[in-house]
Amino acid sequence: MDSNELYSRIKSILIDQFEVDAAAISMEANLYDELEIDSIDAVDLLVQLKELTGKKIPPEDFKDVRTIGDVLNALTAV
Amino acid sequence: MKYISLAWRFIGTTFLWFFFGSIGLLLSVFLFPFLYLFVPEPGARQVAARKIIAATFGAFMWGGGKMGVFTFDVTGLENRDPEGGQLILANHPTLIDVVLLLSVLPQVDCVVKEAVIRNPFMRASVTTANYISNREPSDLLNNCVERLQHGASLLLFPEGTRSTSDRPLQFKLGAAEVGIRSQTQILPVIIDCRPRFLAKHEPWYSIPAIRPHFDVRILPPIPVEQDVGGRLARRHARHALNDALVSLFSAELS
Repeated sequence: MDSNELYSRIKSILIDQFEVDAAAISMEANLYDELEIDSIDAVDLLVQLKELTGKKIPPEDFKDVRTIGDVLNALTAV
Repeated sequence: MKYISLAWRFIGTTFLWFFFGSIGLLLSVFLFPFLYLFVPEPGARQVAARKIIAATFGAFMWGGGKMGVFTFDVTGLENRDPEGGQLILANHPTLIDVVLLLSVLPQVDCVVKEAVIRNPFMRASVTTANYISNREPSDLLNNCVERLQHGASLLLFPEGTRSTSDRPLQFKLGAAEVGIRSQTQILPVIIDCRPRFLAKHEPWYSIPAIRPHFDVRILPPIPVEQDVGGRLARRHARHALNDALVSLFSAELS
C-alpha cells in the first residue's frame, strides 16, 4: 500500500468510524486539537490501523504523533 | 525533640522498606510458587494470593502506625459492596496508596505496571494474584471492563501515576471510559495525606517535619449514566464523567 492509498484509507476510517468532518482532514490536521480525537479514540485508531496494515505502531511512538502526516510516518517507520 | 521525632521516623521508614523488600522476596521464593502446588484451582489460588498480599500490606500499615512513621484513618468502608461490581477510583498522592487500599479492600482487582510484573521481588505475587497488566493500552481497557462485568471490583488510580502537587488534579480518560463501558457504579476514594509524604519525585528517605496522616474517605457510590453507544455520544459521556470526577476529588482535597 503506497502512502497515497494509506492516506485515503486513514481518511475514510476517520470519517466513517470517528465521525470526523471530511473537510477538516489534511496531512497537517492535528488529531487531538482539530479533529477532536481523544486518548481513548487514539487507542481505537491504533487498533484499526493495525487491522488495516498489519503494522503495529508501538504505543510509546504513538505518544509523539500529532498530525495525520505523523501517523503515516509512524506507520512507514514500523 | 523535633530532631528526635525526625530521626525516629527515619529509622522507622528504613525498617519498613527493609521489611517490605525482604517479605516480598521471601514470599516470592517460599510461598507463592507453592500456592500452585497446594491450590491448583486458579480462582481459589487468586483468592489465596490476594489474602496473603492484603495481610502483608496490613502488617506494613500496622507497623508504620505502631512505629509512628505515619498515622491513618479510613472512613466510609460501609459504602463498598463486599459482593464486588464497583469501580473504585482513588487519587494517588503517595507511594504507598496501593498498600493502604489493598490492606482494607483485600479482594479487589487492580492494574499493575509492566515494570512491576518484571520486578523479581514482586513478579510472583502479582502474577499469582492475577492482577491486570498495563502493557497494551487496548487490552487494558477491555480487560478492566471484562473484570467488572464478571462481578469483580476494580481499583484504578485515574491520575495514571502519583499526583504532582504543583498542578491541578488531572485524570486520564480511561477510568471514565471503563465506568461507562462496564456500567458499574463508581466508588470514589479520597486519599488526603498531609503533609506531603512519599510523593512523586521525592526519595523514600525524605521525611516530613511532622508525622504524616492519611485521611482516607470512601465516599458513597456514584451511578454511571446509561451507555447510549455510538462513538460521539460515548466520547461526550466520558469527558462529562471525567470532569465531574475531577471536580469531586478537587473539592474533597482542597
